[in-house]
Amino acid sequence: MRREAAHALLDQALSLANGRDVEIILGGGFDALTRFANNQITQNVAERRYLLSARVVEGKRTGRATTSDVSREGIARVLDRAARAARLQPEIPDLLPLPDAQHYTDIDAADSATEALEPGARAKEVERAVRRCRKAGLEGAGIYEVRSGTIGEYGEIGALAMANTRGLFAYHSGTSAIFRVSALDGTASGWAGRESHRAADVDGDALSEVAVEKALRSRAPAAWEPGRYTVVLEPAAVADLIQDMAWISFGALLVQEGRSFLAGKMGTRVMGENITLRDDPFHPLHRGSPFDAEGMPTRPTTLIDRGVAAGAVYDRQTAAKEGRESTGHGLPVPNTYGPIARHLVLEGGEGSVEDLIRKVDRGLLVTRVWYTNVVDPKTVTLTGMTRDGLFAIEGGKVTGGVRNFRFNQSVVQMLGQVEALSRPERTGGVVCPGLLVRSFQMSSGTEF
Amino acid sequence: MKDLARLALDTAAARGADYADVRAIEFTREDIQVKNGEVGGLELSDSAGLGVRVLVQGAWGFAATDDLTKEGAERCAAEAVAIGRASASLEHEPVRLAPEPAHRAVWTSQCAVDPFSVPLERKLDLLFRIDGEMRAVRGVKNAESFLSFLRKRQHYVSTEGADIDQTVTRSGGGFTSTAVSEREVQRRTFPQAEGFHQALGYEFIESIPWMENARRIAEESVALLTADQCPSGDFDLILEGSQLALQIHESVGHPSELDRVLGMEANYAGTSFLTLDKQHKLAFGSKLVNLVADATLPQGLATFGFDDDGVEAQRWHIVQDGLFVGYLTSRELAHRAGDARSRGCVRSDGWHHIPMIRMVNLSLMPGSGTLEDLLTDTDHGLYLETNRSWSIDQLRYNFQFKTELAWEIRKGKRVRMLKNPTYQGITTQFWNSCDFVCGPEEWKPWGVVNCGKGQPGQVAEITHGAAPARFRKVRVGAGYDA
Repeated sequence: MRREAAHALLDQALSLANGRDVEIILGGGFDALTRFANNQITQNVAERRYLLSARVVEGKRTGRATTSDVSREGIARVLDRAARAARLQPEIPDLLPLPDAQHYTDIDAADSATEALEPGARAKEVERAVRRCRKAGLEGAGIYEVRSGTIGEYGEIGALAMANTRGLFAYHSGTSAIFRVSALDGTASGWAGRESHRAADVDGDALSEVAVEKALRSRAPAAWEPGRYTVVLEPAAVADLIQDMAWISFGALLVQEGRSFLAGKMGTRVMGENITLRDDPFHPLHRGSPFDAEGMPTRPTTLIDRGVAAGAVYDRQTAAKEGRESTGHGLPVPNTYGPIARHLVLEGGEGSVEDLIRKVDRGLLVTRVWYTNVVDPKTVTLTGMTRDGLFAIEGGKVTGGVRNFRFNQSVVQMLGQVEALSRPERTGGVVCPGLLVRSFQMSSGTEF
Repeated sequence: MKDLARLALDTAAARGADYADVRAIEFTREDIQVKNGEVGGLELSDSAGLGVRVLVQGAWGFAATDDLTKEGAERCAAEAVAIGRASASLEHEPVRLAPEPAHRAVWTSQCAVDPFSVPLERKLDLLFRIDGEMRAVRGVKNAESFLSFLRKRQHYVSTEGADIDQTVTRSGGGFTSTAVSEREVQRRTFPQAEGFHQALGYEFIESIPWMENARRIAEESVALLTADQCPSGDFDLILEGSQLALQIHESVGHPSELDRVLGMEANYAGTSFLTLDKQHKLAFGSKLVNLVADATLPQGLATFGFDDDGVEAQRWHIVQDGLFVGYLTSRELAHRAGDARSRGCVRSDGWHHIPMIRMVNLSLMPGSGTLEDLLTDTDHGLYLETNRSWSIDQLRYNFQFKTELAWEIRKGKRVRMLKNPTYQGITTQFWNSCDFVCGPEEWKPWGVVNCGKGQPGQVAEITHGAAPARFRKVRVGAGYDA
């Protein structure tokens, strides 16, 4: 939905406020995904939908109601339900009033060619990837997904536009194109992926070439013993680990409640000097939203500055507790989660992943990790599996496949043992480099 | 909605679909959270839309819309056919659907007390009482509780003549107490991690002993901060029912999904070690292990009259007396496992997503004996309660779980509380080490409500019934033994 249409819809919603303090969030858009496996298209879908969420504030009470019915009658109904929900609950003593109008810096994130991409064009790109797998005698599987608006990976809906009765109006729409391909030969597999706001950046054939090469190298993997190894983590693996760390560490509520490893550590060294981590929707590889679900402008925020704990991300509530301003990382109010960092940027170096490999005498190359989960939140110890290409590095070269490992590793400790970083790229919703890490704990093996 | 579904179906057929089905769905939800004496969230939500699935020249297309006008339904159907045509443009083996009678039926889940008719004040009162009880315990950092109610009305029609109305109501809730020290975060939840949910009305909420457990749970969360660390090594392990439910989900349910077995999830959720050659041959577990898939289980989260392929609900063994015998299948893939008829496991999480193979309710059948009998029979072991984290490889061999707490068992008695228990194993070795499954009196229909699968991602809810069971010589301590 374009800015003008969204503005008109939100104006109509606010016109039904009847003197109440009201906030409206509109989210949704278009999501199309072509899925392939065994070298043919197995699912091919498109969804178009919007959700309108209304919040009514009555003094220290607030209630929220959400609907997919954006007709005038639907909006009136949802406003009444939100008002009823507000009236029925006890006061929230530190509930803040709705914010006034804010100023936002536009982010150019919508690509019209991506928005207009037809299913036939997606099928052609998939065909290029599949052709290369077939030629190598492998089974190709993957996705080509194109989005416009704010439908998330699991169908969750983010804020496309929002407005309130105090004059606030915010709008941001972006596009994204995601291509991921796995090449399989029995239990041997390789993987590659690319994500951008432009479909023109996607090259299914080139990605398939990488996946095929990894799958072929993964045949007949050697069984290495569990233990601590020097590893080169490709950016996809790094993204998964630091995204998990962010969920449990960088929100101000987590810090205030003592649940984050950052609690009591601000201003002290917690990682290596070569680690600087920020949250920045303005990064050219992210092109995220310039506002949060409270309508506050999102400010680039440094979380780790050359290894020193530098800050957390705030919403209005957590900021008010410390007498500071929101950084614009809030979720819809009220919520129990607190603010979250959504646009992580781990600064990197200049070289390639291959340059990192050349520095390793004996170690492992990790293509990506899978099914990560938190073992211990205060040390950010995660477990997970290596996947789709675990390789031996010997004498600075990749020499063959290795059977996959389960790891149990503190990410904080890991980021204190980084010896080198490659050029950052965007993967898994994170901008990050590949890392050369000493003493990464592989704790058990598996059957492939 | 019914008329729009029929219009979309007719449009798809007229545009060239060889097969089509349409689901018109209306959702209503109510989610209430209380945290530390305040309402943390109170959201009333509804959504409605159409999902149109077609086969064109043996290839799938799907489109969904919330534009519930005549034009919107027609446009959605036309888009589904255009997408199907694009799918067919690649070389492919044409989809053939296993035969199923064209059912015409109305089905409704059990619901004695409509949860949407129960006043919000009453629900908030319950949550605030639980909250107060937890916060009365010194050392509790966060007291969090929630209730969640969902109603789904679905109308399904297909070009084969099926016409099925189904209504499901489900209720759930739970609470968590969190205690924090400088070095760690400990938590306890009740009745299980992520809450306890069943396809019932508000009577389900009223059947749970919330207040009787709130203080105990809070006290345990604080006690964990100073409890001894769970030792590392090989131990005889007794898993409490809700943890065993997740073990079943991850290491039995997902690997028996036939779409995974056939590589269709290879790029995301992964494949499976339960390849076709293992059916009726693999000793999956010990003779005590009987795992039954059951879409007819009363109150189950994955209980229905008919799946989203229009197939009638069924009950069958996945593992029988330890032998791997069955898969979770669809009309599209049943023939690949040698079956003439689908087992009826196709579902989606809404009108906006395409149906695919999802677990139906999958349970470990009870053995005999009480939990006390099992403890008495254990000379030295660990009794693990309530999941805290989970992970498993993409073929579903190597798993690792952490629970909220463990009790050390010596000569049949709980002798001390232990914190941070983790255990890790290989699926078939683990299930073959099972030597005691408690009886029907200990069996409960636990649930999983956050099962992710598919691209775009879909979230499913499934019941896994289980009674406590014992597993011999399991590796304990990963993540804390370095």
